[in-house]
Amino acid sequence: MFQYFIKRLAGIIPILMIVSIFIFLFVHMIPGDPARLVAGQDATQQDVESVRKQLELDKPLHQQYLSFVTNMIHGDFGHSLKTKRPVIEEIQSRFMPTFWLSVWSMVWAVLFGLLIGVVSASKRNKWQDYAGMFGAVAGISLPSFWMGLMLIQLFSVKLGWFPTGGLDSWKSYVLPSLTLGAGVAAVIARFTRSSLMDILKEDYIRTGRAKGLHERKVVWDHGLKNALIPVVTMTGLQFGFLLGGSIVIETVFGWPGLGRLLVDSVSFRDYPVIQSLMLLFALEFIIINLIVDLLYGVMNPQIRYE
Amino acid sequence: MRDKLLTIENLKTHFFSDDGIVPAVDGVNITIKKGETVGIVGESGCGKSVTSLSVMRLLKDTPGRVVGGSIQFKGKDLLSLSDREMRNIRGNEIAMIFQEPMTSLNPVLTIGRQIKEAVGLHLGLEGKKAHEHVIEMLKLVGIPRAEEIVNEYPHQLSGGMRQRVMIAMAMSCKPKLLIADEPTTALDVTIQAQILELMKKLSAEEETAIMLITHDLGVVAEMCDRVVVMYAGKVVEEADIYELFENPKHPYTKGLLQSIPKLREKKNRLGSIPGTVPNPLERPPGCKFAPRCSEVFDLCREVEPELLPVGADHQCRCLLYQRDLVKEA
Repeated sequence: MFQYFIKRLAGIIPILMIVSIFIFLFVHMIPGDPARLVAGQDATQQDVESVRKQLELDKPLHQQYLSFVTNMIHGDFGHSLKTKRPVIEEIQSRFMPTFWLSVWSMVWAVLFGLLIGVVSASKRNKWQDYAGMFGAVAGISLPSFWMGLMLIQLFSVKLGWFPTGGLDSWKSYVLPSLTLGAGVAAVIARFTRSSLMDILKEDYIRTGRAKGLHERKVVWDHGLKNALIPVVTMTGLQFGFLLGGSIVIETVFGWPGLGRLLVDSVSFRDYPVIQSLMLLFALEFIIINLIVDLLYGVMNPQIRYE
Repeated sequence: MRDKLLTIENLKTHFFSDDGIVPAVDGVNITIKKGETVGIVGESGCGKSVTSLSVMRLLKDTPGRVVGGSIQFKGKDLLSLSDREMRNIRGNEIAMIFQEPMTSLNPVLTIGRQIKEAVGLHLGLEGKKAHEHVIEMLKLVGIPRAEEIVNEYPHQLSGGMRQRVMIAMAMSCKPKLLIADEPTTALDVTIQAQILELMKKLSAEEETAIMLITHDLGVVAEMCDRVVVMYAGKVVEEADIYELFENPKHPYTKGLLQSIPKLREKKNRLGSIPGTVPNPLERPPGCKFAPRCSEVFDLCREVEPELLPVGADHQCRCLLYQRDLVKEA
């Protein structure tokens, strides 16, 4: 297991190299001239050229890429073209709010998603199932900006329990994480339901019942342990998406997260920030995949990592 | 006469599908005495498995439901027990092993954990005592390195070993009745004999009655005291094992026996029964076996025969032996 883990960790490096090439090329394919944007609309052609030289944008692409990689290895992610601050600082201040918001959203999503999914599967075609699946469809289809505004209206404006936006205390996390988690909870609920319904047809479930186990134990112990295996993959992917930040939620709740940073950077052609963000997102997915794979081994004894 | 342990009377289990109601079990009577091994024989779809699931009340999650009759176990009507009372019987006084050892054990739980569950539930054994009991059971069913196997997972064992684990699990609470639904069908022939031998030995030691569901008359000959032959949801013949093999009455039973190869007789072709089991939605009026019967006569297609005695401890559902009734008609 440990060897497998080390092997996988080492495997991250080549993946990141390949990803960085693609990111670099894609970013440079975005139309628009960053030198012109930095220099300003009123700048003369000469100014623009000098900015281009300063930013090393006049060099051939492969040289730009090489210096991008070398700098990165040395921990230098460059400076934002817009704010002139180091990219690392820009991202750092935005990363933790997004990270904790994602974690809290996942907590809600897993809690409610699993509960609804399991109840729906074990009470198939009864009112509990219909209620659960109605909730899940609502969770997927209600636009998150609308749900966010409704929550603000009810809990912030009317009841005054939580702030309307911004990030001041733990209270600031509640509404945005609920809004963000609702969609994910719905996906987890539907996934758990169908997975568990298949599992409940298995022979070993009948064995469990024949043993005299309580139905609750059959479902939660024998059923869910097996049904969770595909659910974990999906949950990991969803977490990866959340970590990329959500522009809608961040806008509704005035949240200082990565989603808005990315959109701002794209509209300003802020190459260093875009590149670093995309690399960060890729790294997040790689790490989550690794964790999911390790969890597989824990949950499914038929998978052994040698 | 030994005491009656299980009495199934006029059991009717129907399946409710979109195409109509399927009477999978259609008025079945079976009695099993203490310590007795009774074989239930018939082709696929004759209702033998559904009968056993009805006894265990494990029809949940199937479209099937018991719609009539009674199942008495040690004087209690199983069909009228609460879920809780039924759970106390399942795995405890009535245990069951299934056809597919490969899929009947939970792949994500250790062998030990799966046996311990029943032991903890019904015998109240926990911790070290439970662990010791599990190892004892595994040794009893002939599993080598039992101390290690308790911590292993089902996929690490062969089919034969898994069926031994199933037997260990089923026997762990010393049941009065063991229902074995095709316990050897999925196993190699050499392993089959071992598993049957093991079941025989354990049932003799513990005085456990066995309801052995199979389509294999060889297995029946090996194991059973008495045989019940089922066809299209009904019992068509019931007799002592020797009586049945030496003096089969029902044409269906005769057909089944002719389809077994015999060492001393040289035959070029084995006997076979023409046709297939009738679609349960379109069962013919009269005798259900009439369309495939070699000794059929006109009345068979109109009158449904009763299950009546044809000898000492021998009953048969066939008009051939009910001439009086036929004349009356």
